[in-house]
Order: sequence, then C-alpha cells, then structure tokens
Amino acid sequence: MSQIASSSPDIALAPPRRRGPRFSLPVIILSAILLVLILPPTIFLVKVSFYTTKPDGSFGDLTLKYYQQLFTGRFFFSSLINTTIYAIGSAFIAILLGTLQAIIVERTNTPGRKWVFLGAVISLGIPHVLYTVAWLLILGRSGPINSVIDHTFGHQAAINVYSMWGMTLIEGVGFVPLTFLLMSSVLRSTDASFEEASMMSGAKPTRTFWSITLRMGLPGVMALLLLVFIRAFESFEVPALVGLAGNINVLTTNIYQSSKGTGAMDYGQSGAYSVCLLLIVVGLLYWYNRLSRHAHQYQTITGKGYRPRVINLGKMRYFTAAALILMFMLVTGLPLVMLVFTSLQPFYEGVTPESFSRFTLENYRVLMGPGSFRDSIWNTLILGASTSTFVVPFTALCAWLAVRRKPGAWVLDQIATAPLVMPAIVMSVAFLYVFVNLPIPLYGTLLSVILASSVRFMPYGMRYAYAGVLQIHRELEDASSTSGARQGNTFLRIVLPLLAAAMISSWLFIFLLAVQAVSLPLLLVGPGTEIVAVTLFDLWQNGQVTELASMGITWVSLMIVVSACFHFVTRRYQVMAS
Amino acid sequence: MILQNRKRRTAAITACLAAMLTGVAAGTSRALTTEEVLNYKGADREQVLIDGAKKEGQIVFYCALIVTQALRPIADGFMKKYPFVKVSYWRGESEAIAQKLMAEIKANNLQADLVEGTGVGEIVVQAGQAVPFYSPKLEEFPTEYRDSRGLWAATRLSYFALGYNTKLVPIDKVPKSYDDLLDPMWKGKLSWRIESASGTPLFITNLRLAWGEDRARAYLKKLAEQKIVNFGSGSARTLVDRVMAGEYPIAMNIFAHHPQISKQKGAPVDTKLLEPTATTAGTMVVPKGVRHPYGAMLLADFLLSKDGQALLANAEYFPARPDVPPIDAISHVVPRTLGVKDNFVSPENLNKYTESSEAIYQELFR
Repeated sequence: MSQIASSSPDIALAPPRRRGPRFSLPVIILSAILLVLILPPTIFLVKVSFYTTKPDGSFGDLTLKYYQQLFTGRFFFSSLINTTIYAIGSAFIAILLGTLQAIIVERTNTPGRKWVFLGAVISLGIPHVLYTVAWLLILGRSGPINSVIDHTFGHQAAINVYSMWGMTLIEGVGFVPLTFLLMSSVLRSTDASFEEASMMSGAKPTRTFWSITLRMGLPGVMALLLLVFIRAFESFEVPALVGLAGNINVLTTNIYQSSKGTGAMDYGQSGAYSVCLLLIVVGLLYWYNRLSRHAHQYQTITGKGYRPRVINLGKMRYFTAAALILMFMLVTGLPLVMLVFTSLQPFYEGVTPESFSRFTLENYRVLMGPGSFRDSIWNTLILGASTSTFVVPFTALCAWLAVRRKPGAWVLDQIATAPLVMPAIVMSVAFLYVFVNLPIPLYGTLLSVILASSVRFMPYGMRYAYAGVLQIHRELEDASSTSGARQGNTFLRIVLPLLAAAMISSWLFIFLLAVQAVSLPLLLVGPGTEIVAVTLFDLWQNGQVTELASMGITWVSLMIVVSACFHFVTRRYQVMAS
Repeated sequence: MILQNRKRRTAAITACLAAMLTGVAAGTSRALTTEEVLNYKGADREQVLIDGAKKEGQIVFYCALIVTQALRPIADGFMKKYPFVKVSYWRGESEAIAQKLMAEIKANNLQADLVEGTGVGEIVVQAGQAVPFYSPKLEEFPTEYRDSRGLWAATRLSYFALGYNTKLVPIDKVPKSYDDLLDPMWKGKLSWRIESASGTPLFITNLRLAWGEDRARAYLKKLAEQKIVNFGSGSARTLVDRVMAGEYPIAMNIFAHHPQISKQKGAPVDTKLLEPTATTAGTMVVPKGVRHPYGAMLLADFLLSKDGQALLANAEYFPARPDVPPIDAISHVVPRTLGVKDNFVSPENLNKYTESSEAIYQELFR
C-alpha cells in the first residue's frame, strides 16, 4: 500500500490494475529452478538436525536432542555473547573501512585511487585460511610486532592476538574487500544531481556524503550488514584458529568442540544451529524487504543523465591518498608481505635476524613440480568462471523481478538467500547424496561441483544484484515498455546494461570465492577432476606453512592475471555499451 | 490359457539353454566370483589377477596418503609394473573417505575398489561394508597388524610424541615422562590438537589402555589443571608449525616424525617420546560390491610388497612391513629403536574408545 500511495507518478501513468495472479510465469520458472537447486541441501540440513545419524551415514531416530544440546550446553550463553560482540565488531570494522575506501575511490580525485580495486582482488585472491594464518604470523607471539614491542618495552607488554580483539580485527579486515566492492558499485551508480543540489544549498562535501550519498546507498549498506553479520555468525576459520587458542568460544566453535573428535559423521548440532540461523535470516530478509518497499527513495539511476560526481579535494587529496595506502597496508599489504617472506623460508620460526640469511626458492620448486596444483588450474578456472557466469545474470533477473514486485517474486529472494547459512561441509554432504543417487552420471564430474558452488554463492550474487536494481528508477523501464518493448527485451537492453557495474563486481567476487572454496568441492570431485582447492586443503592439512604460503602467493599472482584480463574485457564491453 | 502355457514353456526352455551355455562358458574360462578373487590363494595368483585386471582395465583408489609425496608415486609405480591397469585415485581425510564411500554404497553407485587411511577402515568394518580379502604378502606382517577375519590389513604406522621448540624449552627441562608434564612450569604452555580421533581422544585412550581407567583418570585430572591450549583448526602438522614459530613451547600427541623432517632443515624443533608411546596403524579395506576385484587385489599385493612399502618409506611414512625400514631422517623416533615401550592402539580399540575418551576431554579439558 505504502508503495502505491507514495509513488504517485507511477499511479498516474499506469492504468488501474486489478489484483493480478499470485505468481507470474517467469517467477514460477525461476522459482522452480531455484527450488531444484536449493531444496535438496535444505531438506538434508533440516533432516540432519532432527534425526540421529547412524555410523554408516544413514538417518536413525527422530530427535530433538541437537536443539536441546545447542541451547542447554554449558557454554551456550558465553558463546552467544562472544558471537554477538564478534559479529558486531567485525561488521563495524569491515563496513567502516570498506565504505571509506569506496567513497574515496568513487567520489574524489585522490591520486592512485583505481589501484584499490587491485588491492581488493589481491586480498580476495588469498585463500581465507591463509589470510588468517598470515595475520597470526604478524601478530603472533613470535611475529614482528611483538618482537619490536619486546625490544622496546620488554616482554610484559607483548600483545596477545588470541583474544576477542584479535578475532574481531582479523575477521573484520578480511571482509573489507567485500564491503568495498559492494559499496563502490552502489556509489558508482548514484545520481549526482542530489549531491549537486546539496552542495548548491551550501552543504559541505562531508555533510553531503553523510546525508545524501550514504543515505541514498542505504539498501546497499543494509545488504552489506546482512551479509557481514550472518557471515560472522557462521564464520569458523578465524574463531577456530584465533579464538580457540585463547579459549574464547563462539557458537560455531562451541558446536564444533561438542560434536567433533568422535570420528562419527554427525552434523546434528551444526545442522540445528544452521536451521536457527536460517529462521533468523528469513526474518531479517522480511524486514529488509519492508525497507526496500520504499525503494523509490533509493532510485538513483533515473532518466536524466546520471554521472557520479567526483569531488575535487584540492590539497586534501594527498591526505586521502595516504589514508588509502594505510588501509591497503592493513587489509592487503601486511598479510601479503608476510606471506611472501614466509614462502621464501625453509621453515618459519618468526622474523629473526637469521631468517634473512635463509631465503630459498625451494617451496616454489616443489609447488611447480609434478602432481601439484598446476594440473588442476584449468578445472579450477572453468569452475570459477562457470559459477559466476551462471549466478550473476540469474540473480540479476531474480532481483529485478523481486524489486519490481512482480507477483510472488519475493519468494525468489528468500530462496536464493537460504544457502548463506548452510555450513559448507553440510552442503557438501547433502550434494554428495543428491549426485550419487541421480540416475544421470553427474556424480564426480566438474559440472556437479559447478552446480553446488552456484548454489553456495547465489546469496552473494543476489545481494549485489538486489542493491543494484533498487537504484534503477522505474521510469527508464516504463519508457522502454511505452515504446513497445516486451518485458524480456526491457530486461536485456535496459536493466542489464544499467546493472553492469554491480554485475561486474559481483562476477569477480563470486569467481574469487568459488575458485578457493575448500570444503564444498571436497566430497564432490571424483578421481581425475582435481581442482586447486583440494590441493590447498591437502597442503593446509599436511603441508608446512612455508609451502602453503608459496602456494598462496602463486595463486594470488594468477588471480591478478585473471582479474586483469577480466577488467580489460569488461572495459571494452562498457565502452561498447555506452 | 494354452497360449500362456506355451509362452511359459518356451521361456523356461530358453532359460535352461542360456544357463547351460553360460555354464559351459564359465567352465572354459574358470570365471571366479568376486569373493573367490579376493581370497584366491593359488600358486598362479599373480597371473590370475593380471589376466582379470587386464579385462577390467582400471581401478579406483580412495586414499588418505598425501598426493605428491606418496599417492602419485605409488600409482605411478604400480602402473609401471602393470601398464594395462589405469589407477585413478581420490584423496581425502579418513572421515571424508568414509562419508563418500558410505554414500556410494547406499546409492548402489560404488566407485572405489580399494580404500586406505587411518580410521576409515574401522568405520567401514563397523558399518558392515567391508569384505574379507587375502594377500600372500600379509604373512610377512606381524599378526597384530592384520585382521583375523581378513577385513583389514595395516599399511603404515604412526607414532605419537611430544614436539617442542628447542629455543623455548631448554634441553635439561624437556619432559621425559607423562608426570613431567604436570610440572607447574608448563602451565599454559602445552597444546594439543582437539578435532580428530588421532588428537585428544587418542592421547586419553592410550593412557586408559596402558594404565587402566583409575590411574589414567587421576592423571588426566591433574593434567587438566595445566590449562592446555586446545588447538582447534588445522592438523597435527599445522600444530608443529605453530610450535616451530614459537607460539606454543610444547605440543602433545603430534606425529613423532613431523618435527624431525623440519629439524633436518634447521628448524628449532625436536621430538620426545614418552612411555607408553601411542602407536596406530593406517589400514586398507575392500568395500562390499567392489567393481574391479582383480585390480584391487593386484594393488593390495603391491602396497603390501617390499616395493610398495619402500615407496611409502620414501614418502616419510613408517611402513608396517618389518623388513622395510623407515628413512634415516625419521628412523630414530621409532620406539623400538629407542628402547621405549609402545602401546599399539588397534583400529578396533581406537574406534571403541574414542567416544568415551572424547567425553573425558569434554568433561575435564574444556
């Protein structure tokens, strides 16, 4: 109601409509595709949480014990509090730094600002486990920072990274590339006229940013909050590597500690936790949907020529450049330098004077040798590219239908976001059972991994696309349909090109995540379909940190090359489109 | 009615003829059942297996060995000897192998012909999904390293010990017994790996089996006061790396050979065996419904042979075969050579005690 009431121009143009069908055909088709993909792992997840699992992996009796254990365990409340602090803290760091970067890059004439994209690609290219390890190497007891503190202030002053601030910082900083990419795509497609109006009314640039630019980007910020918050609630690597060692439990590590170690394949408690998270996400999405019901407020791409405004900072631009460099060092530079250093060592024992005389390329030699990851590069690139190429347009269409409130289209957003809360390992087991039972020989093929990772990364595509579509004003599409174009044509020729900025970020982001996902493909690949992630997992499990670092550095280099090619291609496309 | 009867009769005659024909064919080529292949003891075993494997053309091996170090050299070595069989392999941690295998068996879509890992064998045996097999090579193994029912055979051994940072732990302070670990000087400085069956549960199981429940429990209660760091992510190897980096002075219950491999390169880390030293075995099993039994047996024989075990030794594993020594870099952490008493925790016991040992961990150490 509120939408109709407040968007009176639309009403005036549109003929009076009767209550239409509850679901339109495209929505039904897309929902069907989504359900086929997402229902199996969801059902498995719910079943895992309500049934005991027998030693052979089949389901036993119906039970509520996993939910009971979840809420009555003696560490539940302390874990819940820790999780909340951790999630809020890391979300705050990620959004603050990411948004700051995005504003400087998109809206100012700061020199060298375009290089921030490269920084984002580099840090997204570093596998997450390795990124965490790099931070532990920097902040750990034998890391360079503590060495300096030791020398200047004595041993007592040493910092302890195995603590809440350590966890929060590492997780938050790790999410900056995501927040930066999402915010920059939001800012890039914001109409400059509002900002100009604000400036002309005498508002200073900072005031304009806070009250116009950021406000206009609210759906984007909200989408981010949703992603980062939920991710923090289900994140495992940082809490396990950093928190557990300092005896700080969050919910995920609490469940892990309670249910692992027995050798049995029992995902009951983590299933129960995921089901709870799923309900929370459904609630959050409902609220988010209500928020975007007032979507017209955020429609920043209108029929009047839109070009984001770039502010001339004058001398200040050197200050912002310094801020960018500082943030780059924090998010990407330091961990990267540490990894390069480690990869050149025969073993790692901290940054000691002796270690500088021990540089060797041995780790790289082993890495390039037979049987290592060079055999699996092609499979991996195909996996990443196919996943992104499927997810991005698909979610763009879903988001468009949902934002434009086509009958029943809200369902699409809900379904496509569900995989966000599923632990990768549970999803992997679920898909294993799906594929191994299919009559068509999909089991063990690369295609099966592509399908599974498309589901896994669907929520990210959805959030990118949703925030992007929210900004496109209806009038452009109305103009298209008034000129006689059909819906499909309008989507292809009007909406997609306008969405390009969001879609490009989304494609790259999903690609970078898909190629390094470890737990998901583990059970799905068969003999002969090796992918890099599995090599990475082997190295993580059995290799030494020096070998792991050399693998990470090589991988990041390759990702930079891939991203550069991608950047080149999309730039050409953008030039052609305009 | 008549028509139906005639139809039935024709069908019966056809069936009889078909049965006779297949019987004749079977008689000439002496086709063996899968069970017979897996337990074939004739003198012409290798030839029979080779002939059968040639027809099969391939085998699929699920294995927990590290690909670059061990799995690939073994597959290559095997294919060099038997070039007519293509070995394809999939590597996973034991739990993942079990997971994948069970799903395949239940879906009647079994891919694996032979499975190897630490812990996975017992899971398959317990689930009733392993079938008995025979290998003449097994007679050269000690009886404790093979199953009396023929369901599993040991391929390699693991010894568990302390790993310590030599810069942080002076040589005269290195704990020499389990009691030394209770010294207040180690409070907050000990770490162990909590996530897998070969982590904390094995440490606890070892003491329960060697000392009995009461003594073990009394000891563990005291140990819990040391506030051990519960290392929760990554493997035992990762934990050793953290010890080398100086994050924790001592790691308990890590693989005895890992510190030695790094020590060779000059890293400040070493191994200390405590008595009794927990010892476990990696095993192999044949899953029920195996598709390529001839090839599977050929590979099993190869893995248990001197050549196969030597490949394992070169990959820095401890071979289960007594007559194949481990490489020099790690041979001096074998309990026998040091005169340290070891406690072989059999696959059955490891599986049987893990859950209750895990419960003790939950109660005392969290």
